[in-house]
Amino acid sequence: MEFIYYFGNVFQPMSFLLLLVGTIGGLILGATPGLSPTMAVALLIPFTFHLEAAQGLILLGAAYTSTVAGGAVSAILLKIPGAPANIATTLDGHTMAKKGKGARALQLSFLASAVGGVFGVLLLIFLTPVLAKWALAFGPSHLFWLAIIGVTIIGSLDSASVVKGLLSGCIGLWLATIGFDDIMGAQRFIFHPALGGGINIIAALIGLFAIPQVLSMFAEGRKDANVEVIEVEKSSLANAIRELFSHTRALSIGTVTGSVIGLIPGVGGQIAGLVAYDQSRKFSPEREKFGTGHSEGVIAAESANNAMVGPSLVPLLTLSIPGSPTAAVLLGGLLIHGIFPGTDLFDNHPDVAWTFINSMLIGQILMCMFGLYIAGLAARVAQVPKSIMAAIVLGLAVFGSYSVQSSMGDVYVMATLGIMMYFLERFGFSAAPLVLGLILGPIAEANFIQGSMIANATDGMGAYFLGGNMNIFLIAIVVASIGYSVGMELRERTRNSTGGEAS
Amino acid sequence: MKKLMTGAAIALAMMTGGAIAGDYPERPVLMMVSYGAGGATDFQARIVTMTAGNDDALGMPIAIINKPGAGGRVGWNWFATQAENDGYTLAAYNIPHFIAQSIKGGVSYSADSFEPIANWGADPAVFVVANDSPFQSMGDVVAYAKANTGKLTFSGAGLFVGHHIAALQIEKAAGVKMAYIPTKGGGAAAMKAVIAGDVMGGVNNLSDAFRAREAGNVRILGVADLQRSDFLPDVPTMAEQGLDVDNSSVNFRGIMVPKGTPQEIIDQLAATVPAMFANSRVAKKMKAGGSPMHIMTRNEVLAMWAAREETLKKLLAGL
Amino acid sequence: MNLNRVQHSVSSGMVALIGLWVCWVSFTQQPSEAFLFPRMISTVFVLLALWTFAKAVLGWSKVGTGIYAKHFTNMLPGLLIALIYVFWAAKGLGFYTSTSMAFFILLSLYDPASHTEIRTWVKRLIITAVFMVVMYGLFAKLLKVYTPREIFF
Repeated sequence: MEFIYYFGNVFQPMSFLLLLVGTIGGLILGATPGLSPTMAVALLIPFTFHLEAAQGLILLGAAYTSTVAGGAVSAILLKIPGAPANIATTLDGHTMAKKGKGARALQLSFLASAVGGVFGVLLLIFLTPVLAKWALAFGPSHLFWLAIIGVTIIGSLDSASVVKGLLSGCIGLWLATIGFDDIMGAQRFIFHPALGGGINIIAALIGLFAIPQVLSMFAEGRKDANVEVIEVEKSSLANAIRELFSHTRALSIGTVTGSVIGLIPGVGGQIAGLVAYDQSRKFSPEREKFGTGHSEGVIAAESANNAMVGPSLVPLLTLSIPGSPTAAVLLGGLLIHGIFPGTDLFDNHPDVAWTFINSMLIGQILMCMFGLYIAGLAARVAQVPKSIMAAIVLGLAVFGSYSVQSSMGDVYVMATLGIMMYFLERFGFSAAPLVLGLILGPIAEANFIQGSMIANATDGMGAYFLGGNMNIFLIAIVVASIGYSVGMELRERTRNSTGGEAS
Repeated sequence: MKKLMTGAAIALAMMTGGAIAGDYPERPVLMMVSYGAGGATDFQARIVTMTAGNDDALGMPIAIINKPGAGGRVGWNWFATQAENDGYTLAAYNIPHFIAQSIKGGVSYSADSFEPIANWGADPAVFVVANDSPFQSMGDVVAYAKANTGKLTFSGAGLFVGHHIAALQIEKAAGVKMAYIPTKGGGAAAMKAVIAGDVMGGVNNLSDAFRAREAGNVRILGVADLQRSDFLPDVPTMAEQGLDVDNSSVNFRGIMVPKGTPQEIIDQLAATVPAMFANSRVAKKMKAGGSPMHIMTRNEVLAMWAAREETLKKLLAGL
Repeated sequence: MNLNRVQHSVSSGMVALIGLWVCWVSFTQQPSEAFLFPRMISTVFVLLALWTFAKAVLGWSKVGTGIYAKHFTNMLPGLLIALIYVFWAAKGLGFYTSTSMAFFILLSLYDPASHTEIRTWVKRLIITAVFMVVMYGLFAKLLKVYTPREIFF
């Protein structure tokens, strides 16, 4: 209960001002394509040079929480996920916006983010010692199986065709191997100098989601604007809250999955949203509605990716091991002030530690309030005529992908992948599984190589990858997940063949 | 009005004058770090360049861009082949990493592709084990490795980086074969493997290991340097424990420019940058973060690069 | 219907060709440790791609609408301008110069409003200017992104 004593610090004028600046700034940065939470936090580090330790961390913590949520804004309105965490949000969120329910989608996403986020931070406050052990329990073999679980989700993420979903995933897995191999340093598939650095995940994300959009808008030609102005439905807050809590299943699956997966060093943040989306679809009685603008999809994805924020800091704060790129940047923010995470932080600087954690709690709520405030207004983006929208998205895509690491190569990669994706989409391939492959490829590969090196030096591959309760448990999930996908596919088949050529 | 006119005239004169005299730098300077944001190199690079905008330093801020991947190869390849050599693109170097990689081959750079400006830090490699490990000294490690050839797993941040060099030297000095496990994700991932017990030990940066020890997670058994570190006066060097390991694996960090950068700009940077590193605010922040500083001028760095290249060629000859 | 089948066959055939190429490269390049993982995934890649191709040739592909000629001709001018913009102008002319040009041209091309009225042109110019100001403020001022140098300034 120690943390309660430090709530006062958050409400000191300067601290609260920084919290506000961090939250609002974070939402704007998060909504900008190309700016992942990691970059947003890295951009703010220089400002913290001039602040006290606790105040600097308040700024960084607030920016972290709200950039993760802000990514949902561009995911819903423009179908450009701000960060890998927001991919799942595009699946239903953008479809809702296209139907004129953008305001509702935004409200739900901010509310779900706040619920998930607060839960995650509370876990961080109360269960840190337990969680720290759990985070360390994942060795290379477990992380490998975890990535494979992600791969099995690939097929079912694409509702149209499991085979094409898997094939899209394979293309993504291959794209991830382009560039220098991370462990050996060998060059792989570098057939153009722009690929020397591999395919940057953020640039790829922008290209794969934004460019097909732009091209589809072009494909419609010079249409009369009057015909297709979307009626943006007003959405009252009370109704949004009611809708949120009528989907407690999606909300709790999202929150729990997000917290658990967020904890795992090196994997968590990027796939929490997708796994939660997939799980809540599998458990939903209305599963065929997913992907058509179903609010459960938005709720699950967004509650998961904010729930991951708190637990993702556990390995950093207790063991001084940054479990995610963003945590690594936050570590820098602590070190600048001579504070070492771990026992030093909680024993010698409890004010810094708890003020930081509390500020994330309050940051979640501020983020939600501010987000709800802008939701109605922001949803009007859907009314912008397509001709203007196409040009805006293209411009943002170019600037956004360039800004990731000031590289023209990333812009070329973005455009090439995007144009390719447009044509693939016409033939039933889809971007979400491809991106999931791109994310999971390096995780699976690095842990497989590392695990097999350890295995070869110790008890051999079989014992290392297949032995132990955790491995067996994870393999069971893999099998269940594949079985489920196959079952669904067969059921779909029989239903289609009895109901005639429906699709 | 007249005042305004003169003001504008002066401003105009200053603008054009600046352009003609080629006053370097007239716009912000980029500095490429070939490791991810939040890594030790990135963290230190951001601190040592934070005063660049001051008038006694460059007078223009230095902006850090990260190009991580493959132990630094991605960034340095880009720097050697694509960066403009107009003095507005700097990079951080890590010795012995990039020299070892260029000796091993498969990259488009070597020590001749770059011009050093100045060195800011030297971070020795150390051998760490988890707190509950039975190993109490390097002697225990070597004894175990002798009894179990190739079975002692220990982590490091990749192949042909400082950690790997230290690992090779330890193996060579002790005459044993151990299983070096390179991790993806830099020193942090290698440290996680040690603390979590995925591996039995590990080579890591002194700065990161010092922090992990403060957090109560690891023990540090030896420093791969010529003398003990100020941060860890109680930890003996490898040589003190009978292992013939010199300072070849010490991670020197500094600033460099691509070959072909105008000599005047190199000279100007070489004159101002060491003073910028020596700024007391920089020193304070570096010390607070547990990062050892070691300022060297351009000429000293040139000599150090040449010496490293020679020793590394010998060490890596058999691989 | 038939056209759709041809399109599906061509597209999945191209994916299968890429898969075969990836597989060939993975199994021939050295060092083999570095290509172990690519070998594993490219095998699965090729199998899935060939399966999809076979389905397409047999006319069993049902998902995906294919490409209509009208859509393609509508898209072509925009695609060409986007290509010139991304692959040449952005670096050659500078980001802000090229983006304002590309933005204005694309806007004019796809804006349904009449091309003969002066008002619509003024409106397009204003929209372009506002967009560029926002981009400049966001990327150059707020985020301090250093874009390639402009040719005009």
